[in-house]
Amino acid sequence: MTAIEIRDLAKSFGSVKAVDGVSFTVEAGSVTGYLGPNGAGKTTTLRCLLGLVTPDSGEALVDGRRYVTLPQPVTEVGAVLEATSFHPGRTALDHLRILCAAAGLPDERAGESLAMVGLADVGDKRVGGFSLGMRQRLALSSALLGRPKIFILDEPANGLDPAGIEWLRGFLRHLAHDQGAAVLVSSHVLAEVEQTVDNVVIIARGRLVRQGSLAELTTNGDSAVRVRASDTATLGPALEAAGAKVERVEDGLLRVRGLDASAVGQIALDQRVVLTEVTQERSDLQKVFLELTGER
Amino acid sequence: MTGLVKAEVRKLFTTRLWWIMLLVMLVLIGVNLTFITAFAGVTNEASGGAAIPGRETAEWVQTAWSAGAGGSIFVMILGVVMITSEYRYQTVTGTFLTTPRRGRVIGAKLITGALAGLLFALVALVLVAAVVIPATLLSGGELSLSESRIPQVSLGILVSTSLYGLFGIGLGALVRNQIAGIVGAVVWAYVIESIFTAIPVLHPVGKWLPGGAAQALMSIDVDTGLGRPEWLPAWGGALVLIAYGLLFAVVASATTVRRDIT
Ligand SMILES: Nc1ncnc2c1ncn2[C@@H]1O[C@H](COP(=O)(O)OP(=O)(O)OP(=O)(O)O)[C@@H](O)[C@H]1O
Ligand SMILES: [Mg+2]
Repeated sequence: MTAIEIRDLAKSFGSVKAVDGVSFTVEAGSVTGYLGPNGAGKTTTLRCLLGLVTPDSGEALVDGRRYVTLPQPVTEVGAVLEATSFHPGRTALDHLRILCAAAGLPDERAGESLAMVGLADVGDKRVGGFSLGMRQRLALSSALLGRPKIFILDEPANGLDPAGIEWLRGFLRHLAHDQGAAVLVSSHVLAEVEQTVDNVVIIARGRLVRQGSLAELTTNGDSAVRVRASDTATLGPALEAAGAKVERVEDGLLRVRGLDASAVGQIALDQRVVLTEVTQERSDLQKVFLELTGER
Repeated sequence: MTGLVKAEVRKLFTTRLWWIMLLVMLVLIGVNLTFITAFAGVTNEASGGAAIPGRETAEWVQTAWSAGAGGSIFVMILGVVMITSEYRYQTVTGTFLTTPRRGRVIGAKLITGALAGLLFALVALVLVAAVVIPATLLSGGELSLSESRIPQVSLGILVSTSLYGLFGIGLGALVRNQIAGIVGAVVWAYVIESIFTAIPVLHPVGKWLPGGAAQALMSIDVDTGLGRPEWLPAWGGALVLIAYGLLFAVVASATTVRRDIT
């Protein structure tokens, strides 16, 4: 069954069409990045999915059901939302124990979840003294309480330091690829998710502009190979003879289209030319993103 | 539902506000009792009679005992904060993610608010008993439960203080802003209600307000110098209070269940 399914979802706030006919799905065992610039409608979509906002039309389903109809939602869906906050006077453990009581989970889950995000030592400290990154981890630990199989995370990397981001990437991949969870993670910073996600859904001004696998998106048509060689005068014509389009970038550096790196290597060997660099150019994801969202 | 009530009780007792409120309540009731005790039987020159009956009388016991109702405002503030702090600190998101059926959350809050009211009322009654019983016995009075109507006054205090928890939750759900809610509660209890319940001319209106209904339930029948109050009968007061409780419960759920949380 499709873990997350969004169909023709629309929601307006006054005259602002925050989400305007968005559809996509997320399957178990994969991480999907939900990308878009500020104000694109990411948070609104996720809040509709979680029953916090009532959509004007369309449907947003988890495991084929509306979130609000789930009998034990935290055991099925773990969510972290942007505006999740904590009472500053309450300790981290107390915060989680409250959620345990409300969800009917044993209190031990509070400590276990805290340990999973590396906050075991500060469980009895008031959240008021936590850094942004610690709060983000605490929010994540509340999503882990019920050991769910679906994760919906709104900008979870906000406020994390490089080590924290690295840890989060590994954690999300582990959840999806090792534990078979479905992970939907939003971000407006591409670099953040580029190394984590399998699939990408891009939205701008409330409308879906692109969805597909990360590979599909980045090997977007014309990919080129950069070749640095000892003797480009020999190599260039030989590559052209093999059907490539060759562009002389500078002395000793060629940009080759129409052949992949291994074909280039083979031709260089045949011509007895020494290669000092061969790089497959990927079309820059950031560039693709800016083009698609019209933010140039 | 017990899990949800447990969660709400934990929310209440894992922050500091509850004992601050409890402490302030005890101080206020203590001051009030000191005043009632010190000025008991002191004759008022102008009217020629005593504003507060003597300590040995059953009427004094009744008046002093009713000081235990002074906790209502604090329970009401606690109720306001139980709702508004969820919006203020945005914990409401986590609350509704855990329990998407929002009506149940409101229900649990109402139960918890009433329980907190009961607790506050019990503590207030313990303080009142600790002052009033020795004071009247030392002044040569007798402690007659039927004449001083201690059981009825105590019951009135327990019921009305609990219901003020519901009022607070209803008010909090309505305004959602913490400061506005607390100011609203204080103005309501200290300005509007005290005007309408203290001035006899306004009693025809005041007896229908929660404060007046609470007085009716306690059946305090002592002339404070401004004329004898005309409350509803005790059962009428009880009905009015319960109606208010239901009204505020309905307000709390109606304003919460369908609202977008963004
Ligand atoms: N409660 C609200 N009232 C009015 N407008 C709103 C509300 N919530 C969101 N909007 C509007 O809806 C649009 C989408 O907002 P949303 O928060 O979903 O964007 P986002 O993609 O999450 O942006 P960001 O990357 O900044 O978090 C914006 O134009 C925003 O101003
Ligand atoms: Mg957002």
